[in-house]
Amino acid sequence: MSRKGFFTDSTTCIGCKACEVACKQWNQLPDDGFHFTGMSYDQTGDLGCSTWRHVAFVERPVPLPGHTTGVGDFSWLMVSDVCKHCQRAGCLEACPTGAIVRTEFDTVYVQPDVCNGCGYCVTACPFGVIDRRPDDGRAWKCTLCYDRLGDGMTPACAKACPTESIVYGDLDVLHERAENRVRELHEQGIISAYLYGKDAANQPGTGGLNAFFLLVDKPEVYNLPPDPVVPTMKAREAWSAVALGALGMAAVAVGAVLLGRRGSP
Amino acid sequence: MSSSGEEEPSFLDKLQQRSDGRNVNPALGTLLGEGAQQRVKDLDGANPARTVSSSIPSRSEVASADAPSYHGLAAIKQPVWIATVPAYLFVGGVAGAASLLGLVIDVLGEEELDPLARRCRQLGTVGDMVSAGLLIADLGRPERFLNMLRVFRPTSPMSIGSWVLALSGGLNTVGLVLGRSRGVLGVVGKISGYSAALLGMPLAGYTAVLLNNTAVPLWQATRRTLPPFFMASATASAGSLLSLFPHSPREEGVLRPYRLAGKTAELAMGYAVEHDARRAPEVARPLDEGVSGALWKASRACSVAGLVVDVLPGRQRWKQVAADLLTTVGAVTARFAVFHGGKASARDPQATFKPQRRGHGAAEVVPAHAVASDGKPFSFPLPVVR
Repeated sequence: MSRKGFFTDSTTCIGCKACEVACKQWNQLPDDGFHFTGMSYDQTGDLGCSTWRHVAFVERPVPLPGHTTGVGDFSWLMVSDVCKHCQRAGCLEACPTGAIVRTEFDTVYVQPDVCNGCGYCVTACPFGVIDRRPDDGRAWKCTLCYDRLGDGMTPACAKACPTESIVYGDLDVLHERAENRVRELHEQGIISAYLYGKDAANQPGTGGLNAFFLLVDKPEVYNLPPDPVVPTMKAREAWSAVALGALGMAAVAVGAVLLGRRGSP
Repeated sequence: MSSSGEEEPSFLDKLQQRSDGRNVNPALGTLLGEGAQQRVKDLDGANPARTVSSSIPSRSEVASADAPSYHGLAAIKQPVWIATVPAYLFVGGVAGAASLLGLVIDVLGEEELDPLARRCRQLGTVGDMVSAGLLIADLGRPERFLNMLRVFRPTSPMSIGSWVLALSGGLNTVGLVLGRSRGVLGVVGKISGYSAALLGMPLAGYTAVLLNNTAVPLWQATRRTLPPFFMASATASAGSLLSLFPHSPREEGVLRPYRLAGKTAELAMGYAVEHDARRAPEVARPLDEGVSGALWKASRACSVAGLVVDVLPGRQRWKQVAADLLTTVGAVTARFAVFHGGKASARDPQATFKPQRRGHGAAEVVPAHAVASDGKPFSFPLPVVR
């Protein structure tokens, strides 16, 4: 099986939320409640246990470079966020039960029948994607429509996207398409366009994302970290510190017992 | 999903709606989706309403050029763990340190110290048992706790810790039960007890790695100092708890240097943890502000007081008890401070974003990596020239 993934182009996103709806319907995810957030057109807020696609809406007081139409000092930024299915996935490397696995499509999948809800993946994800549902007790996230992929179908969100902002396919094909798109945008004068997390060279902390993005502003604006790192990459220092600490603990115990012996009458 | 005519939902529909928050009409489809197994009892509990953002989005913090964020929302998820986890961080540490002291007394100490060694092993065993209970209570699906031993994953401190705790608890129990038998059983008991004691060191230290190996800014930033701090704190509190039990002057000869060394190391390492966190001011903020800040300051004060009262001249019993209680309270409070501080730093998007911009993200461990994911150079080690 070839490596599959999403390419999400924020410049063609119109904020229709068809991806959110299609995801909810296909996966039969529970209701998020009808809450008003006051955050532009975004009533979902973030990805979570029952939200596996989330459209972010940013109203900027600056125009997009190269834009000639529209109202003065204003530009819309919209992007459909999703689990990134990282090459070095924090959730997968943290999962103590083996519930989180890498599939034959190179995607990251949580097996609900194995997960015991320890919640470690929730803290290990550098993007804040996976979440534990309190009343269910298990961790949930985007499966990249594992059930559809097996039948050779396109994931529900990509299928529903009316502007091809979300494209699903082989990663090699997607990379080429994305690079062409960036070149095209640069020629149009939108020089701020760049690819977020395309490969390990761009994002060594995650080894590249299977679901990568085309953005036109800083990642922080879209609630994406500027230099994410899978926590495991930094664990060596912590384990070395444990080794040192163990030496110290042993030394204190041995020293105390020897002192107690010698100091005895 | 009623169409035209607003029909009254049937009894079955009502039942379905009460048990399931999906609003899927059972007549229209079977629940076979990947998310259909999600148990739904409390819709508002899983998705609490947010405070409505009333600022004008285009003029809010989102737009600020130097510190952008998405409507001020958290960049990563807050840890979902409950209070049993910080409680375990303390209990597990005490169990590990006590088991280790038991082993050292057994090997190096004289016969008169045997009661103390036995108390150490008892404390270790009880601590292991309580630890397992505290951890299982935190699981979302406690009945599946045995899945922890389904695989061994060296990249996951949680997996390593589960094995260490399971082995340490099991071996300690065997050691305690068979410790006084004669013949082969006695040898088995001794070996078990000793192995459990050696596992006590990783047991006291891995709990810090468990926190360090996360995306939570405060926990990740303190990865060089938190493990020794937890281990020193474990030594101090094990010494204090053992001193609270009635013990002979000979035993006090061992416990006093052990306790004092632990308390001193705990104080020093606590300072080091704070220093480590302060490399990024956004990361250290929870140690100064809010509930976690108050807890941290209280824990520092208790630890100092515990050491000072202990070294004051005079050997009255009440003085000793006060010193030991102060140290224990300080150690417990420190675990809760670090735990809640981590939660607070996860809630703050700038604690995630700003240090990464300054080169504290992947750039710390990937040397040749010089630009952020948007192609902008890090301001570290040289300031960005625009």
